[in-house]
Amino acid sequence: MDTNPIVSLRNVCKWFGQNEVLKDITMDVASSEVIVIFGRSGSGKSTLLRCVNLLEEPTSGHIEVDGIGFEAGPHTSRLRRATVHDIRMRTGMVFQEFNLFPHLSVIQNVSDAPGTVKKMQKKDAEELGMHFLEKVGVADKKDEHPIRLSGGQKQRVAIARALTMQPKVMLFDEPTSALDPELIGEVLAVMKDLAGELGMTMMVVTHEMGFAREVANRMVFMHEGSLIEEGPPAELVRGAKDPRTQRFLEAVL
Amino acid sequence: MTTRTVDGVRDAIEAWLGRFSFRTKLAVVWAFIFVALAVLFVAFQFDTQFMVDWLPYILGGVPLTILISVGGILLAVPLALVAALARISSNPVLYGVSGFYISFIRGTPLIVQIFFIYLGLPQLASYAPEALAPLFILGSVTSGILALGLNYGAYMAEIFRAGIQSVGYGQAEAAQALGMTRWQTTRRIVLPQAVRTIIPPTGNEFIAMTKDSALVGIVGTQELFFRASKIGRQYFHSLETPSSPR
Ligand SMILES: Nc1ncnc2c1ncn2[C@@H]1O[C@H](COP(=O)(O)OP(=O)(O)OP(=O)(O)O)[C@@H](O)[C@H]1O
Ligand SMILES: [Mg+2]
Repeated sequence: MDTNPIVSLRNVCKWFGQNEVLKDITMDVASSEVIVIFGRSGSGKSTLLRCVNLLEEPTSGHIEVDGIGFEAGPHTSRLRRATVHDIRMRTGMVFQEFNLFPHLSVIQNVSDAPGTVKKMQKKDAEELGMHFLEKVGVADKKDEHPIRLSGGQKQRVAIARALTMQPKVMLFDEPTSALDPELIGEVLAVMKDLAGELGMTMMVVTHEMGFAREVANRMVFMHEGSLIEEGPPAELVRGAKDPRTQRFLEAVL
Repeated sequence: MTTRTVDGVRDAIEAWLGRFSFRTKLAVVWAFIFVALAVLFVAFQFDTQFMVDWLPYILGGVPLTILISVGGILLAVPLALVAALARISSNPVLYGVSGFYISFIRGTPLIVQIFFIYLGLPQLASYAPEALAPLFILGSVTSGILALGLNYGAYMAEIFRAGIQSVGYGQAEAAQALGMTRWQTTRRIVLPQAVRTIIPPTGNEFIAMTKDSALVGIVGTQELFFRASKIGRQYFHSLETPSSPR
């Protein structure tokens, strides 16, 4: 594992109006590291992930992804747009609700952005898309529209769609929370492969403790907008020091 | 005793009516209306020969009616799209101007707008530089198309805006997370989905516009309605003329 962080957050704060949702978050993620972020509903986990790819702009602090830095504060719109774009090209995101494009077929879902954003030739984009659809095991559905897929298949297509942009970091926001229990396994298996085989750097918000223990290098507990405690899964799950972490773990385990 | 008899008769009628389906009864109602109209037609001595004589002239307005409607819709659709996008943008200039356009147009009668463009604009021409002056003096057809396009553009902007906003926000977020710009997101992800909700009400607007194009006749455009009312007034046959093209 590379020790140079690929994602680093420095003193990141996020306010929604009068509501401080992220409180002075500082954290590093090393290349190929898998981080699981967990905590109560409303603790700011989604907001943290969304600040990494700037779907939310932090109120203050500094974010760096693969050498591209973004300092919160006033910017000219040209600079902001360029930085936001550079950071998004390095991050892929998977949403709880999949957010596949319903008007496009599976292969178009995965190949549209490389064509539109990277100006890749359609043939090359589709070839690359097929490669990742095969990786996540839904290549046979390439001409279907998302509505015809099961939840597990949808989420695997969404993962392939993000991978086709060849990001350096993958952000997963509760990728299995909207799935029927019997479909969770197939998505977690894909994510596990992604971490193992491809050595992808991953930040995962999830309460799947089995997955965390097996795949994560580090678990991070969030509470009311702050990072409370972190550590390797085995240590944190057995020996959490903070009572809030202990209480939460007791509830989910 | 008598109430008994009345009830009995009512029950018998009800039983008899019950034997017929809704559709059959509806057909009878329509037949009655049709007959009533035919009776009126005869009673008021509709001059059928007059109608036949002038029909070709009046129908000669059909191409112009179609031209005005199609021209109007071709102008209204892009206008509505731009106004709708401006209405949901965070740019204060775009937002303000489109807001003014939509409420101004929706707040004034179409007939006033037609007069304003046909008769009001030429008056402004005297203030314009000489080279530009002809731009302010529009033919009746051009001003009709312009007025209808502007008017329907404002109404359709609201339809378009609702259609665009019916696309879930998660769609735009997913597209932006993939690195698409705002415009790419709008064009490739949001609009194609919005079109499905937009098309049916847009069809209704087109039908309404075809009917509203009759108003353009008031400024002397020789479309259907103008011809019909001109002949009607001239020969005191205004009952017949609007009926004849139908
Ligand atoms: N766009 C927004 N505008 C205003 N408040 C917001 C917005 N997004 C999130 N919040 C608030 O920020 C807080 C943290 O939200 P966030 O979605 O990050 O929590 P979470 O830990 O992901 O919760 P969950 O487990 O329910 O997904 C919540 O109180 C939420 O109401
Ligand atoms: Mg969340």
